[in-house]
Amino acid sequence: MTTSPAASPAAVPTADAPITAVPITGAAVTYLRYVRSEVSRVWRNTRLLIFSLALPIILFGAFSSSGADDRLGDLTVAPYIMISMASFGAMNAVLGTAGRIATERSIGWNRQLRLTALTGPQYVLGKVTTGFTLAVLPIVAVFAAGDAMRGVRLSAGTYLGAGASILLGLVPLAAFAIWLGYLVRPENMQAITGGVFSLLALAGGIWVPVENFPGWLADIVKLLPMYWSAQAGRAVLAGGWVGGRGLATLAVWTVVLGAVAGRAYLRDQLRT
Amino acid sequence: MTRTPSPPGSAFRAGAESDPTPPHSVHLVGVRKRYGSVQAVDGVDLAIAPGEVVALLGPNGAGKSTTIDMLLGLTRPDSGTVRLFGRAPRQACTAGLVGAMLQNGGLLPEITVGKMLTAVRALYPHALPTAEVLARAGIGDLADARTDRLSGGQRQRVRFALALLPDPDLIVLDEPTAAMDVESRRAFWAAMRAWAAGGRTVLFATHYLEEADAFADRIVLLRRGRVIADGPTTEVKALVGGRTIRATLRGLDDAGLAGLGRLPGVARVESRGESITLTCPDSDAALRALLAAHPAAEDIEVVGAGLEDAFIALTSDDVATTGAAAGREETSA
Repeated sequence: MTTSPAASPAAVPTADAPITAVPITGAAVTYLRYVRSEVSRVWRNTRLLIFSLALPIILFGAFSSSGADDRLGDLTVAPYIMISMASFGAMNAVLGTAGRIATERSIGWNRQLRLTALTGPQYVLGKVTTGFTLAVLPIVAVFAAGDAMRGVRLSAGTYLGAGASILLGLVPLAAFAIWLGYLVRPENMQAITGGVFSLLALAGGIWVPVENFPGWLADIVKLLPMYWSAQAGRAVLAGGWVGGRGLATLAVWTVVLGAVAGRAYLRDQLRT
Repeated sequence: MTRTPSPPGSAFRAGAESDPTPPHSVHLVGVRKRYGSVQAVDGVDLAIAPGEVVALLGPNGAGKSTTIDMLLGLTRPDSGTVRLFGRAPRQACTAGLVGAMLQNGGLLPEITVGKMLTAVRALYPHALPTAEVLARAGIGDLADARTDRLSGGQRQRVRFALALLPDPDLIVLDEPTAAMDVESRRAFWAAMRAWAAGGRTVLFATHYLEEADAFADRIVLLRRGRVIADGPTTEVKALVGGRTIRATLRGLDDAGLAGLGRLPGVARVESRGESITLTCPDSDAALRALLAAHPAAEDIEVVGAGLEDAFIALTSDDVATTGAAAGREETSA
């Protein structure tokens, strides 16, 4: 870890290189410390453990029990549902960012943090990083359940590729979570995110496979970002990748939701 | 850095006209902020030298919280400049020079006090050890208590510990004792005094004259977003700590009314028919003189003026408007 990217500018022998290198390193350290403290604080949260860990495993057990040889798209039932539920749990972990931002805004904790070396953008980025770190847990857990309960055993590379693809597919939802966090009051957050979770899961083909939807509905679902998170994971299992159309859909949603979230964040910074 | 700091009170005049070469701890020049139709802060100039303990005194809605928010870089002023130690507020905070207790600030939930302090501690460049901060704030016994299970007074002490964490040179407190009972208030100021004894700068907002009097070297009086008095505590206290004498004087003519204003100890005279109200920095002298001049005076009342009354008296040009101008709406916890 001695050759961190932040140290490389110092190698260029100019007069002000050490001056620029120091704050970059300092800022990165502050950010990493913030993520570490957030992850260690949040991961034991009961709601998080229920919705992003217990529920996906239970649903996987229930939905994957029948028709072992039936096919959904390119996969048999068990691996298909396994990816859906890993994606569902990860989605809940990433969307949990919204509630945390809203709560901290309501109690003025983000104002308190603005008196530290942590900058506003680092705060938001730290929250997102925390969400994605917490999302690794349900993915690993559901993959383990797939192996233990239905004998779905994959190569290390496939596990890694599928997990990473699921997380990649959740990038637009991270922006969406930031937007919600700066938009919704914490007292309404539970009701709103509860509804949003269900809607996203339904529209993403998490609970009912898109293969069972009527064609017109499947076309709409494929325009939404949530579908592509699970689809990206399944594509890896089928030996491919998410594909150009999926990547483009995710990119467009990331830009749109990122812009909306950025505006909400800036409005909040100026208001308080 | 070798020039001695300007004396309290005259500091802002000296600082405002020239570039602040020896950085003041706090330096505001012409700071303004408007919320909708309310001019919350209306051109505040303030310079605080290192080591000063300054009270920002004013009634609710005077603009104290808005001023503090701008001072800390939490709110952007519409115009004017804010410097802390010669830097922008954000840079001063990043360097760990500033600690603050914000009004109605909450604590991070689902965590112990000790863990919360340690987490925030990691975000400062040269923070004090958590145990030391707990001890200085007098809450060593709360390290393992959950943040969501504290009493109002305990929460304030924990927030004080948060403010001490960066080992700051300037500490800013927005109504720090608002949720405290008398005993915790006393303990809080004792801890605060011990901390400030090291020559550090303290700025606190309060609407209690007694609190400003007991702790500050200098009082800055704020009303409707303007500084209406700024000077050593004893002087400002004399200005606002006076009493009001009310009496009925039968057959008082204009000459007699004018004479009242010249009595010793009287700052200001109001009359409604035969009923008069005298605002008095020295009510004892004023009463003796009043009775000597008008032995027939009836219905005499001497009352201590509230802060808001005193402020109205100090800004007599707009007596007609009663009630404080609403500043930033302060949300209740």
